[in-house]
Amino acid sequence: MSEKRNVIVRIAGAAGDGIASTGELFGKTCSRMGLHVMAYNSYQSAIRGGHVWLQLNVGEEKTRCHGEQPEVALLLNKTSPEVHIPDMKPGGIVFYDVSKIKDDLTVMRDDLNYYALDFKALCDFEGTSPVMVNVMLAGALIQAIGLDTSVGMEFFEEKFSKKGQEIVDVNQKVFNAGIEWAKENVKDFSVALKGDGTKRMFLTGNDAFGMGFIAGGLKSYAAYPMSPATGILHYLSKQAKKCKLLVKQTEDELAAANFIIGSGQAGVRAATATAGGGFCLMVEALGLAGMLEVPTVFVSVMRGGPSTGIPTKQEQADIKLVMGGNGDFPRIVIAPKDTDDAFVQAARALNLAEKYQVPVIILSDLFLSEHYQTVDPFDFSKVTIERGKYMRELPKDAARYKRYEVTDDGISPRLVPGHEGHMYCSGSDEHDEDGELVSDILAGLPRAKEVRLKMHPKRMRKEETMLKENDVLPPEITGPADAKLTLMGWGSTFDYIEDACETLRADGLSVNHLHFTDLYPMDKEKVKEILRSCNEIVAVENNMTNQMCKLILGETGFEITRSINRFDGEPFTGEYIVNEVKKKELINA
Amino acid sequence: MPETTDREITVKDFKGHINPDWCPGCGDFGVLNVLQRSLAEMNIAPEDVMIVSGIGCSSNLPGFINTYGMHTLHGRSLPIAQGFKLANHGMHVIACGGDGDGLGIGVGHLIHSMRRNVDMTYIIMDNSIYGLTTGQTSPTSGFNMKTKSTPFGNPELPVNPMALAISAGCSFVARGFSGNPKQLVEIYKAAIKHKGFAFIDTFSPCVTFNKVNTAQYYRENTYDIQEDGHDSSDMQAAFARAMEDGKIGTGIFYQKERPTYETPEKETFDIPLVDQPLGVDEKLASELNAQFL
Ligand SMILES: Cc1ncc(C[n+]2csc(CCOP(=O)(O)OP(=O)(O)O)c2C)c(N)n1
Ligand code: SF4
Ligand SMILES: [Mg+2]
Repeated sequence: MSEKRNVIVRIAGAAGDGIASTGELFGKTCSRMGLHVMAYNSYQSAIRGGHVWLQLNVGEEKTRCHGEQPEVALLLNKTSPEVHIPDMKPGGIVFYDVSKIKDDLTVMRDDLNYYALDFKALCDFEGTSPVMVNVMLAGALIQAIGLDTSVGMEFFEEKFSKKGQEIVDVNQKVFNAGIEWAKENVKDFSVALKGDGTKRMFLTGNDAFGMGFIAGGLKSYAAYPMSPATGILHYLSKQAKKCKLLVKQTEDELAAANFIIGSGQAGVRAATATAGGGFCLMVEALGLAGMLEVPTVFVSVMRGGPSTGIPTKQEQADIKLVMGGNGDFPRIVIAPKDTDDAFVQAARALNLAEKYQVPVIILSDLFLSEHYQTVDPFDFSKVTIERGKYMRELPKDAARYKRYEVTDDGISPRLVPGHEGHMYCSGSDEHDEDGELVSDILAGLPRAKEVRLKMHPKRMRKEETMLKENDVLPPEITGPADAKLTLMGWGSTFDYIEDACETLRADGLSVNHLHFTDLYPMDKEKVKEILRSCNEIVAVENNMTNQMCKLILGETGFEITRSINRFDGEPFTGEYIVNEVKKKELINA
Repeated sequence: MPETTDREITVKDFKGHINPDWCPGCGDFGVLNVLQRSLAEMNIAPEDVMIVSGIGCSSNLPGFINTYGMHTLHGRSLPIAQGFKLANHGMHVIACGGDGDGLGIGVGHLIHSMRRNVDMTYIIMDNSIYGLTTGQTSPTSGFNMKTKSTPFGNPELPVNPMALAISAGCSFVARGFSGNPKQLVEIYKAAIKHKGFAFIDTFSPCVTFNKVNTAQYYRENTYDIQEDGHDSSDMQAAFARAMEDGKIGTGIFYQKERPTYETPEKETFDIPLVDQPLGVDEKLASELNAQFL
């Protein structure tokens, strides 16, 4: 077989069939063996009992993609075969329970191996119930592809020991029944993946954001639940006591955004997260943070839009949104490229917010935020905390303190409230260096104009400083610099495009990958130079209208005219991109 | 709990260096004066006070008083004030703004702030009109009142801030009148002293756009509920006062201390968040990683 030692597994059924817990059991088995997993959850609104599936690509090396065609499937309900059998790779194996699926599946395809287990017969002991079919099938699956079955046994201990030993026992017995059955009956499929023995974490991008925030000194977090951002709220709520965090579920997104502005003004590191619809409600506060120069971090997780859109599906179509707001104010927009990067960028965003006293937006998406993947434990020691011009005390000999002092770099010394003799009021109206408004008594007078012409450029100057100080990551090129074709992407598509490039290069094609993590501000000259150095650029965007191309065009005047787009609600895969490149004849060898 | 100071504080310490640009005779002057007096009489140092407002004539107040201030967005003073207070509970936090700010665009926050019970004070400067936007109907404009946006009379009933607050679980509910500073200063002092969310709806007449709810009107139509023997620990009695027709009661309608938002989270709030070290140590870091191994 191929040297690529990996296997793609799909677990499918109705919401409530235990897909998530089966996935967790399977994922943990792999991650503890030192294998790499990339998992993607395709789900619909659980309330309608929609069809759900989880696809896991397990490999001995880092797996960049959840892949297209599964080789192993575990089907948990009646509708599963018609959805998934057509997707299977020839020669693949399918596990199911006879009480759930009664049809003769060979009629659909005869090039697959079907294994029908009978839960009633195999698990006919005290305490079992049909909801445990997935546990039995998981046992069979894990055995069949030669993974370590002891992790599963541990898993039930960890998960159910609080509920009582009987629950642990019965799960283990059912699991074991699946294992034993597979030992007897499954013979012709052995991938026998070998892990390197290094235990890895198995988590989502949202978990990684939460950990990055904690590493970066987050103290105040406020949010209103909205999928796919809610995972961060759940994660941080759980850690609140241990890490001394203020975690507040507010009455709405307006409150969440404004709440963190209050905390930021007080001098603590503060963040919120929401999805596109919730971010719409936060935009007024975003401008307030810009105007009051309050360090704040906003995570905006994209999902299918517009409006409530396709809530549980993937899209990358909120660049325009996060660039929104009335008037001009400085901001930073970062689109992390993967789970590791989610950790790094969350901590970095807190630093940048304080250094520049601006709102920083982390633009994530459903795929990055919610997919599970294995990563090495995060290196907290690499995270530094840099607070910029933050002050708790004013030096004794300091001149009269002005909160919004005009400086060359646009950043004013930031003395947080609580000191005798240095009181100031921060105003959302245009104000002078002391924070005093020029909108009321001074409105219309020459002095108001003068202040405006000083203060507005002072704030906007921070964007220039960010570039000068090299705080904006330029886009990176991977692969041969002189490639005939450049695939341009941003944010979470990084791994998919990398995967596609590897395949295309293996096919003898000359391609490279241009990736943006930092979207804004943009170093116009540097970016233009990089774009010009490419031979032929094709944008790869998980949206219909190429929002990144438009941002690049607006900033640099460089127009990218060809693109691969996906907006059916699914993330890209390497294979998908490869097929598009070939289909559209975007390159000739 | 925020402290008072050893320094001797007077009203002068709170005098802002900008003169208010309110219309001469505006009720908001009275609110400002009484607030300055209350803080001075409690000997609270100006640097220990943060005043957060929204947008409106009344919301200009933080610019006219010598404390820390934030003049923010229409309707959003409360979440900002709470985010601030919980990040630095060593300071006294007071939010203020208009009836439109607090009972119109910001009413969602008001209800939740009341049940949340963060230790802070909230003053609505209630003129039953939108002053800054030159005289439209407000949530406390009377039924049938003619304003620029209701030239044929207001078709809606006004909200009842006292009844709303009591039912929302507010632990300190009061109403005052800027034209009665003697009573108002006592109410404000009690509110600032109150441990929990203290709400004071303060009649503060707009002399320019509201010819109905004038200072004269309030002098003639209000009475002091404490003088009338009201027991502010009795919620039923408070409701009864809130629902009265005819003369309008002022004073403390309801007060009952209960654990503030901060109380159950003792571990987190032992010292103000702003004074806590940032980041995590090695041990905690490996614990956090271990959760996913
Ligand atoms: C989001 C938003 N909507 C509308 C406005 C315009 N606006 C400013 S103040 C105000 C109402 C003022 O009334 P009130 O809050 O009662 O304060 P007052 O001026 O009467 O003291 C309105 C509608 C605004 N600033 N922001
Ligand atoms: S318009 Fe009314 S509320 Fe505004 S300052 Fe003048 S009197 Fe006061
Ligand atoms: Mg008003």
